[in-house]
Amino acid sequence: MGKIVDTVVEKIVFLCGILSVIFVILIFGFLFIESFAFFKNFGILKFIFGRYWCPNSEPVLFGIFSLLMGSFFVTLGACLIAVPVGVMTALYISEVVNKSVRDILKFLVELMAAIPSVVIGFIGMIILVPCVRKLFNIPTGLTAFSGSVMLAFMAMPTIVTISEDAIRSVPWQYREGALALGATKWQTVRRIVLKTARPAIIAAIMLGIGRVIGETMTVMMITGNSSRIPHSIFEPVRTMTAVIAAEMGETVNGSMHYRALFSIGLMLFLITFTINFVADLFLGKNKNK
Amino acid sequence: MVDKIKVENLSCYYNKKCVLGSLSISVIQNEILAIIGPANSGKTTFLRTLNRMNDLNLTYSHRGEIYLDNNSIFDMNRENLRKRVGMLFAMPTPLPMTIYENVVYAPKHLGLISKKFEQDVLVEQALRDASLWNEVKDRLKSSAMKISGGQQQRLCIARILAINPEVILFDEPCSGLDPISTTKVEELMIELKRKYTIVLVTNNVKQASRVSDRTAFFLMGKIIEIDTTDKLFVSPKEKQTEDYITGRFG
Amino acid sequence: MIKLTPKLSQKLSYLILFLATVLVIMPIIVMIFIIVKNGISVINWEFLSSMPRNGMREGGILPAIVGTFAIVMCTTMLTLPTGVCAAIYLNEYARDNTLTRLIKLGIVNLAGVPSVVYGLFGFGIFVMFLKLGVSIIAGALTLSIMELPVIITTSRNALNSVPYSFREASWALGVSRWQTIRCIVLPNALSGIMTGAVLSIARISGETAPILFTAAAFYVPHLPHSIFDQVMTLPYHLYIISTQIPNMPSNVIFGTALVLLFMVLTMSFVAIFIRIYFRKHRKW
Repeated sequence: MGKIVDTVVEKIVFLCGILSVIFVILIFGFLFIESFAFFKNFGILKFIFGRYWCPNSEPVLFGIFSLLMGSFFVTLGACLIAVPVGVMTALYISEVVNKSVRDILKFLVELMAAIPSVVIGFIGMIILVPCVRKLFNIPTGLTAFSGSVMLAFMAMPTIVTISEDAIRSVPWQYREGALALGATKWQTVRRIVLKTARPAIIAAIMLGIGRVIGETMTVMMITGNSSRIPHSIFEPVRTMTAVIAAEMGETVNGSMHYRALFSIGLMLFLITFTINFVADLFLGKNKNK
Repeated sequence: MVDKIKVENLSCYYNKKCVLGSLSISVIQNEILAIIGPANSGKTTFLRTLNRMNDLNLTYSHRGEIYLDNNSIFDMNRENLRKRVGMLFAMPTPLPMTIYENVVYAPKHLGLISKKFEQDVLVEQALRDASLWNEVKDRLKSSAMKISGGQQQRLCIARILAINPEVILFDEPCSGLDPISTTKVEELMIELKRKYTIVLVTNNVKQASRVSDRTAFFLMGKIIEIDTTDKLFVSPKEKQTEDYITGRFG
Repeated sequence: MIKLTPKLSQKLSYLILFLATVLVIMPIIVMIFIIVKNGISVINWEFLSSMPRNGMREGGILPAIVGTFAIVMCTTMLTLPTGVCAAIYLNEYARDNTLTRLIKLGIVNLAGVPSVVYGLFGFGIFVMFLKLGVSIIAGALTLSIMELPVIITTSRNALNSVPYSFREASWALGVSRWQTIRCIVLPNALSGIMTGAVLSIARISGETAPILFTAAAFYVPHLPHSIFDQVMTLPYHLYIISTQIPNMPSNVIFGTALVLLFMVLTMSFVAIFIRIYFRKHRKW
């Protein structure tokens, strides 16, 4: 009797275990099938390098180059802000302050990760967008830059938490060696700790980037949704995620437009898949040390 | 003189690397067989094979046969085997629950007892047999993690006694204990010999000489010598055995 | 030019690190403050317990609250058992082979898929292919796939933190593997699993993109009757009223944001307190 229960349980948990692989395959397969039909019809190069996204024009144009550029600009901007600030914060939390302050700071960072993206988008709309417009004296504050700033806040919890873990897991002996030779604490941190934790910090940054590229609601609310190819970060842009979110509701099931949106989904899937895969390699590298 | 356990040509491997080479040895009913030897001589591997605790180690494999009362242990249900062959680990491993619950945990799950009154009787009996009753009878409901190391180790013995096994395997049971606790555990082992068959792996040569009836000396995965404890310690046949028990290496 | 001594350079660097930290922490506090200050005025019992009126510009947000609860409940019921079982498989049963590595890779990548892609997938599979329509159940299924990797990872860490010696002690007494997991491993991992579960519930209640085309409705004049109904949800409602409706009184938007924020942050607090409490009262 007990034996049977054990065998049944093992089968059940095994099924649940392989579910995640099944889902990844299902998601990829589903996106691929819809996109394949689209690529056959429209052409994959015309899709990636086409300059215009005009699903309602005649003839229809589904070039996502402007969207790629939009995503790229927003992500780049967010990284430029989030990476240095995030890594420095991780350093401050793990190396400078004592335990009780560290707990409070980590708690706040965790809270930040919990704030819904719509709320961040809304705050951006109300507070940041008018500021940006006045500050840089441009016709609209709904720009890639505004998106970058808000998205930087969403990437920071990821970057801070993972980097902080990595920095703190650098063995104490490494530091003692340098400190014993008369280096200041900061020199030790800069030369020894940062170097040892580097792979994990890179992974943290990549995971943060992954989160920014995939973010939808915030960008949709504050980047202006203009499908022109941006020339600077202070112009309105439209990202891949925003297009899907904005247009999916209006499409006819099975139409060209519908499939084009799935193709964008496939692109996003492949980009984030690569980022996460590489980040995981870096994290694994850190653990093996 | 009945052979309780009979091991025939047992070889054990981790990652295909041989750690025990074609071993043959018997354990006689109601004796204490001590196994001594330096680190990495395969003592613990041998012990953990006797109740198949190594089965879950995925790099482990073995060849050969082990019989318990003339039945191959590899044909038995693993849980039934472990019910008959109990094991005590080097470090005390109380489960994170009360002292009382620790003792009734296994009997309850193995369906040996059900009624509350049976449990009370069992707990008292097991703790008395492990000579722990007088020390903990007033705090059976307090956490087993809070008593001293020596008491924890005797609690673990009580836990084994509660499922009434036939053989008990001791894996360096005193390596984490102070001298007084060690004496208590050793006295207990000699006491237990009357009802159970005991295999004791130890790093402590003196301990082997104090408690065991027979002693086997392991080196690099081989049995160098096995004899009654008196003979082995007074007049070892092999040079390596003599070197080890007189403390010249290991 | 002043030459920087190591001591001075350390002081300067710490100052910069401190400023960076302020830059990260301040906005959260400011953000919460602004929302509370502007939204608190509309919060009253009527706002929480009545239907929206006049094109959502007046009245309450009851259907959005109920809808969010419904979706979160369904999602948790789907994803928690599955995720915990998967974690048990990975931590207690899985061997170190290609399949296990594949599963781990799957989890890592599932965790990275953008939420809007989940929405796309859920729309294609659940709404269209399985013909569930835009409904609570379609949204919950989509969200539960999205939360699965999070639940698996946190549960696995919790299981992993239970010392191996407990398992060995139990096995050595002849107790089977499943009984050991049920009676020793799971009870001791419970706090960690609960923390993860509550945190992910908090996350689910703030998600918008995955339910955009699988569950959420612009406006529903009644509360949901079954899991096959469309619903309004708080985050989607907030999106709608802050971008799609002209002349929306801003205090109502702030009020809605406040309710959403309050829900999410309360749950995060609860999760973090569970963790702190059990760490202090840990038995081993």
